[in-house]
Amino acid sequence: MSGIFWEISKRNIRIHMLRSSLAMLGIIIGVVAIGAMGILGNSMTQDISSSLSSVGDSVIVTPYSGSGGMGPGGGGGGGSSQNMYLSDQNYQQIERAVAPNVAIPVHSTSEHMSVGVGSTDIEATIYGLPTDKVKDLLPTLQSGDYSNGNSGCLVGATFASDHNVQVGSRITIGQDGEYGTLRVTGIIPERGMSFDISTDSAIVVTQDWFENTYNDQYEYNEVVVKVTSGTTAGVTTTIEKQLNRNTREKTVTVTDSQATLATIYSTFSTVTLFVTAIGGISMVVAGVSIFNIMMMSVSERIKEIGIMRSIGTQKREVMSMFIYEAGIIGVVGSLVGGILCLLAGYAVSALMLGTTKYLFTLSSMSSVVEGVVFGIIICIACAIYPAWQAANLNPIDALRHE
Amino acid sequence: MAPVIQFKDVVKIYPLKSGDVTAINHISFSVEHGEFISIMGPSGSGKSTLLTMMGCLDTPTCGDIFISGIGVRDMNDTELTNLRRDRIGFIFQYFNLFPLLNVIENVNFPQMLKSQRQVDENKAIEKLRAVQLDERLYTHTPLELSGGQQQRVAIARALINDPDILLCDEPTGNLDSKTGASIMELMSELHRKGATIIVVTHDPNVAEYTDRTVRIVDGRIAS
Repeated sequence: MSGIFWEISKRNIRIHMLRSSLAMLGIIIGVVAIGAMGILGNSMTQDISSSLSSVGDSVIVTPYSGSGGMGPGGGGGGGSSQNMYLSDQNYQQIERAVAPNVAIPVHSTSEHMSVGVGSTDIEATIYGLPTDKVKDLLPTLQSGDYSNGNSGCLVGATFASDHNVQVGSRITIGQDGEYGTLRVTGIIPERGMSFDISTDSAIVVTQDWFENTYNDQYEYNEVVVKVTSGTTAGVTTTIEKQLNRNTREKTVTVTDSQATLATIYSTFSTVTLFVTAIGGISMVVAGVSIFNIMMMSVSERIKEIGIMRSIGTQKREVMSMFIYEAGIIGVVGSLVGGILCLLAGYAVSALMLGTTKYLFTLSSMSSVVEGVVFGIIICIACAIYPAWQAANLNPIDALRHE
Repeated sequence: MAPVIQFKDVVKIYPLKSGDVTAINHISFSVEHGEFISIMGPSGSGKSTLLTMMGCLDTPTCGDIFISGIGVRDMNDTELTNLRRDRIGFIFQYFNLFPLLNVIENVNFPQMLKSQRQVDENKAIEKLRAVQLDERLYTHTPLELSGGQQQRVAIARALINDPDILLCDEPTGNLDSKTGASIMELMSELHRKGATIIVVTHDPNVAEYTDRTVRIVDGRIAS
């Protein structure tokens, strides 16, 4: 039975092609807006998460700065800190508290250096790590090997490419080379943003070299705990209990990378939802347009509805005719919109993120599917009232309608 | 055998803000199988109301209506719609074909409503032959047909489900006299083959084709 009403719906769309096309255009714009915004948001989230996921199992302990927050990476524990460094005693306490997890003491400072003869002055961060624990923090190298002597160092991938550094290159440390020369033994792969140490544009030296050079023995900028046993939240609590017993005068600030990651992901999800909702506004506008067109369609076909009802067409069959019409507009418009939003998502991702590698991921594709499904649902939902109104016309009044 | 249509003391009152209007005032009559009846009367006499109630498009305020022995007074909308589909054929003054469908599809429409899935394509052709429509027009749309041709298609559509009654509302009102006469000849032919036909008309020439004329004045049967 639905065949004849399906056929009438198709033909009605065909004879009102311009009107139907404009309605479809509204849906297309809505789907593209939702899909493209969803792709952008998801790509951003994935881009950030790929940069941060490698540090998701760390707990970072820094000197208590009074105002909380994380202050690792750049040398020093924060501007208003009461303690600039963690003492060796603090480190020993942390190591005992988190066992069997590994606690890695980290020295860091910002230093002038140069690569090769006659090169320009570079300012970069130097990290000092214990030789026996460097692999716990930096488990893989892009090339070369870990330094096994005080004269060796590792360099970050960005540092290496920016300054044309290779394994075997020599880096002169200090303003006038006052701290000597180090030989590059390995290059650390790109790690992106990190909560523990940011090695991409830095160099990593042995703890002994750092302490001998800066006379900085037993004072650490941070301690990184790599959590392999238990949870980061559990380790965080343990450290807090051990080192911040005096609630009035805290010793350390403990940052749970998992919790921070969760906060970041949550923030990005909210941003994605927000931008998608902005796209959704255009879909609502398209829905209003569909509603308007269906109301017009009903008012133009009152007589036809009256004839149908008088010769034995049920109300639900009249309704189905209008629902089919909106459904066709919705499905065609949404599918075209779905295809176009892939192109829009590609363009937006390429322009705003500089990469399109997250375009064909599950979460990005789900944004497209959501846009398409939402488009179809909006179309059908906006046709329900006009269809209901058509079905409930008084057949006698409808027959007399001119 | 029960009459095809039976009205028993039927009253129809339209409640209006300006006061109730009694369109049908205690009418009782019946139409037997195979009758060819015309209903005549001045404008506002209640002819159209009578037709809509015979066609189950409206129900009486009081009194009873029976279509082929089935009481319609307490039927819900779905039941009334099914009754219209299965037992009543409508023919309108303005033909009222569906402009989006071609001749065959228009004729088949009530059959599709009834049989849901399977449609006997030959039946539409048989009915179109019965109304003497040129076969070359079967795939044309209504807008491509003359008034007389459209009315023949409308009659074929009304006959497609083999209804008990054909209800005609001014079937020649929108046709020239020659075409009107040919349509009435066609109706007479259908009547000779056993169809029960009720025609509402202003035209005495149309009434001449029928066996009996019911005159309505002020909602009552005058003769």
